[in-house]
Amino acid sequence: MGADLSHLLNAYGTQFLSSYWVSLRIALLAFAGGFLLGTLLTVARVSPIPPLRGAVNVYVETFRNAPVLCVLIFIVYALPDLGVVIDYEPSVIIALILVSSAFACDNLRTGINTIDAGQIEAARALGMGFGPIVSSIVLPQAFRSVIQPMVTLFISVVISSSAGSLVPLAHKELTGLVAEINNHEALGILTFLIASLLYVCTGLVIAFFGRKVERRLAIWR
Amino acid sequence: MAMTRTERALFEIGGPKTRRRILIGTIISAVLLAVLLAWVIYRFYEKGQLDYRYWYFFAQSNVLAFLGAGLLGTMRAALGAGAIALVVGMFLMLCRTSSIKPLSWIATTLIEFLRGTPTLLFIYFLFLVPAQFGVHMSTYWMVVIPTSAYASAVLAEVYRAGVAAVPSGQKEAGISLGLSDSQNFRFIVMPQMLRIVTPTLVAQLVVVVKDTTFGYVVTYPELMVNAKVVIANFSSLVPVYLVVAIIYVLINYAISQCANWLSHRNSIDILV
Repeated sequence: MGADLSHLLNAYGTQFLSSYWVSLRIALLAFAGGFLLGTLLTVARVSPIPPLRGAVNVYVETFRNAPVLCVLIFIVYALPDLGVVIDYEPSVIIALILVSSAFACDNLRTGINTIDAGQIEAARALGMGFGPIVSSIVLPQAFRSVIQPMVTLFISVVISSSAGSLVPLAHKELTGLVAEINNHEALGILTFLIASLLYVCTGLVIAFFGRKVERRLAIWR
Repeated sequence: MAMTRTERALFEIGGPKTRRRILIGTIISAVLLAVLLAWVIYRFYEKGQLDYRYWYFFAQSNVLAFLGAGLLGTMRAALGAGAIALVVGMFLMLCRTSSIKPLSWIATTLIEFLRGTPTLLFIYFLFLVPAQFGVHMSTYWMVVIPTSAYASAVLAEVYRAGVAAVPSGQKEAGISLGLSDSQNFRFIVMPQMLRIVTPTLVAQLVVVVKDTTFGYVVTYPELMVNAKVVIANFSSLVPVYLVVAIIYVLINYAISQCANWLSHRNSIDILV
């Protein structure tokens, strides 16, 4: 096993690192995008305009329940037939943004419901309109009460970035690289163990920092 | 969906000016959404995706039967993995909460490991590695083992949260009646814990159904794989993938609604 490990590190060490970076890059962009889109959707979902609320509900139920693989395959293989051609890596990121924004929107909704209705009534009594109420009273508190679910969401986006192995990325992400190495060489258990540890440790590190952020910002009710 | 008190406060009816603004906003957004939908449909039409030749086979019984067989494969894998996870998850939870420290450490590590590893990586592992050792495994198990491994780790944590949610007075009452630890767990804690976690267990089935789509990688005959065969036969990409995606969404939506219904009926929160 020691010889295998040194061979593996010599032959594929740099590839492992760069693939790990691709996974992280996909996950970071997808989570950031999903978070932003999820916030916008949440504003639409609590707006007093019924068609917007309805559309967001349909969106959220669709992408919360659609498998990532299904969304990704549709973007990569079906959209070109509709005249929309997107490169592989952006496709993976878009698929993950669509799915994670639906979950982010749901998390924020839970967060909004922890806010006492009296606060909104008070703001209204002060003459504040929908925009100011949402931006200065509802959203800040909602963000701070959903730190933990958002951290969980980020970790699952990192894990879901492995869906990138289903499409021929120019720069392979971690799962794709491991599958490729094992198509050439019988280094099985070791390569998978390293990749798996990278994912697990990334998740633990994110959870660690998530707890730190939560301790500082969370509102305990 | 029913509105909560906070949401109702946000939607409070305003004065005449606000009402007019809301009306204008409603009309504009309704028009924009209609335009968007029309544009998508036009896009389909323009690219010939609404042509008869791309859709007629959905009325053929053999195609429907084939997609139905795929759906059956999906369910077989999902229910198999779900059943395994129910049992293994319980076992992992019992080990994790055991008073034997090394056992608890091992279980904790295993749970973190299984929860933190992508199911897809595990599927590739079973697809590629046993073959290197000359072991042959059916594609069913290549899908079901990784899916159930992930779900087991998640369910172990769900069960643990369920045990924590049983009021401590219940357990104390059991102790004061002279029940042993195992009797206390079996007759007092476990029945209440199972009631608490039921909606969450149903909700987790959605994740299991989603994970079975990775059968695509090892060509286990589930819905995605059978859809691919239909596509190859009729060269109708967009309609088939669209229909399949809608089927997945509807199945998972039904499962989520069922979980929500259970959660409302027994007024128990869905644990994450």
